[in-house]
Amino acid sequence: MARTVGGVRGERDRVYVPYLLPALLIYTVLFIAPAAVTVWYSFTKWQGLGTPAHYTGLANYRAMLSNPVFLTSFRNTLILVVVGGAFVFALTFLTMVVVREMRGRAFVRSMLFVPSILSPIAIGTAVGFLLNPDGALNRLLSDVGLHSLTRGWLGPDLIFKCIVAAVVWISTGFYVAILMSRVDAIPEELYETARLAGANRLEQFRYITFPLSRDALSTGAVLWVIGSVKTFEIVIAFTGTAGSPPIQARTAAVEQYLSVTGGVSGTPQLGSAAAIGVVMFLLTAVLVVVLRRLLRSEAVEL
Amino acid sequence: MNQAADDVAPAGAATARAKARPVRGRPGRPGRRGRRGIDRLDALLCAAVRGVLWLWVAMMVVLTLWVVLSSLKTNGEVFENPFGLPKSPQWRNYSVAWSVSGFGQAAFSSVTVVAAAALLTMALATPAAYVLARVDRRSASRVITYFAIGMGIPAQALVVPFFLMANDLSTFMTDWVTGWWDDRISLALIYIVLSLPFTVYLLTMYFRSLPTEIEEAAAVDGAGPTRTFVAIMLPLARHGLVTALVLNIVALWNETLFVLIVVGDPQQRTLPATLLELYNTMQYTSDWGGLFAGIVILVMPMILLYLWAGRRIVQAMTQGALK
Repeated sequence: MARTVGGVRGERDRVYVPYLLPALLIYTVLFIAPAAVTVWYSFTKWQGLGTPAHYTGLANYRAMLSNPVFLTSFRNTLILVVVGGAFVFALTFLTMVVVREMRGRAFVRSMLFVPSILSPIAIGTAVGFLLNPDGALNRLLSDVGLHSLTRGWLGPDLIFKCIVAAVVWISTGFYVAILMSRVDAIPEELYETARLAGANRLEQFRYITFPLSRDALSTGAVLWVIGSVKTFEIVIAFTGTAGSPPIQARTAAVEQYLSVTGGVSGTPQLGSAAAIGVVMFLLTAVLVVVLRRLLRSEAVEL
Repeated sequence: MNQAADDVAPAGAATARAKARPVRGRPGRPGRRGRRGIDRLDALLCAAVRGVLWLWVAMMVVLTLWVVLSSLKTNGEVFENPFGLPKSPQWRNYSVAWSVSGFGQAAFSSVTVVAAAALLTMALATPAAYVLARVDRRSASRVITYFAIGMGIPAQALVVPFFLMANDLSTFMTDWVTGWWDDRISLALIYIVLSLPFTVYLLTMYFRSLPTEIEEAAAVDGAGPTRTFVAIMLPLARHGLVTALVLNIVALWNETLFVLIVVGDPQQRTLPATLLELYNTMQYTSDWGGLFAGIVILVMPMILLYLWAGRRIVQAMTQGALK
């Protein structure tokens, strides 16, 4: 019997289930189910393997609200997402204003991107070493006569600011790449017309680049939220103390890691660790929904 | 005045207008007051931003050079002469880091775990993505959404169950089945699970972008669905497959949280965890040259990968993000 085009579809239908099933099964059993189980763990008090888990209802969540250490880590996470995000996107916009017609732009763009594929542990270790009290930065400052500028960069007052700055420095290139890939698709004629009309670069950005890359901006903002809520490695690497980073430097993800491993005290609190995981998921979800609302716009077609 | 009123129009209006008429009015019309000032400000701002960008790039180059040079210094030089050249390059730092500080073992763990996880992820995701992209069933689009949900769930929501599962698996295998277990196998499993949602989604979008004529011609010529998939679609999708593979390699190579949580034995940990471990014990060992050698060992493969597949990585990351 001759196969027809309709037959192709029938053939493919036959492999639908066998081709799909392995991935679907593993994803459901090892990703979706554990994510759901986390919610249940978050209602228990559990010190880890070999000890019984007790159902305690919302006790973990209530304890979090009255635990100053957790509240600090949660506030830090929020600061990182909001303030860090403001810097990342401000820098991205400024870059977008000039990078279209800048000499060496391909080089600059690819260099800006490099940190986003490097291990945050490697970057954090190197930069953390640079910022040590006897580190290279303070030495450089006093060598050039700016002794008054030397300070304990990793001390309690400054450490989190340094972390936010490092995260901004590492991440911006990625968002430049995302937004610029959209800008690259904008027809050059639009800019030519604008130039003939006498528009300067700020105006070109305002009337062409920004509106036409708005959907990419909203995607970028969502990715930033998903990524920055999870900030973990850079803190650990900066402080060089995986067991107990200073409280001022902790993010929610670091706090959760300490709850799972028990930190220096050595007693894991799996129930509260699960609760922190749930809180981080909720924070991400809420922020993403809010952002989508704020940045919603009709799609602009080219 | 009219101009100013237009300028403060709501963003939505500006968006709509951008399509029709990119630039309103004639901003450069001679005689408008303040116009020249704005242009000068514009030029100044642009020059400043360019300066900052070049400074930014220069900082990265300097930082990289500083790390590489520090990795060739003696411990004393790292502190006493942080910005100078090493007197005589201490290649020993690399051999010490490799053999004494465990970077050799860690590199082996990193390469095997990442390679196994990335390849198995592809083996699972590719057939699934192919049928999801090509089958006309209502369930297909629902399944795609179901996989996409996973991209929005942070790995942190899975830390506790993965920690427990890895422990149970290790106990179960040691007590009942094989008599031994290697936590790195658990780690690879976790990596596969974590990479699946994004990989299935990205590949589904990629398969959709491929033309259907060739596979239909193949089918008319008598090729079965498996043969069509293996002989026609896989070579055709080569580009997308390599891209997904490279993206997973980058992500998994740098992963640290689950290594620390799942792999108990420091000897079995991957490179980022080993670097962290060395940094933590630095106050006792003070092998600073070796620390920088470790940074170079961890980072170098990704830099080489970027030199080889750079544009592809950037394109894939941005396309994956935008689709």
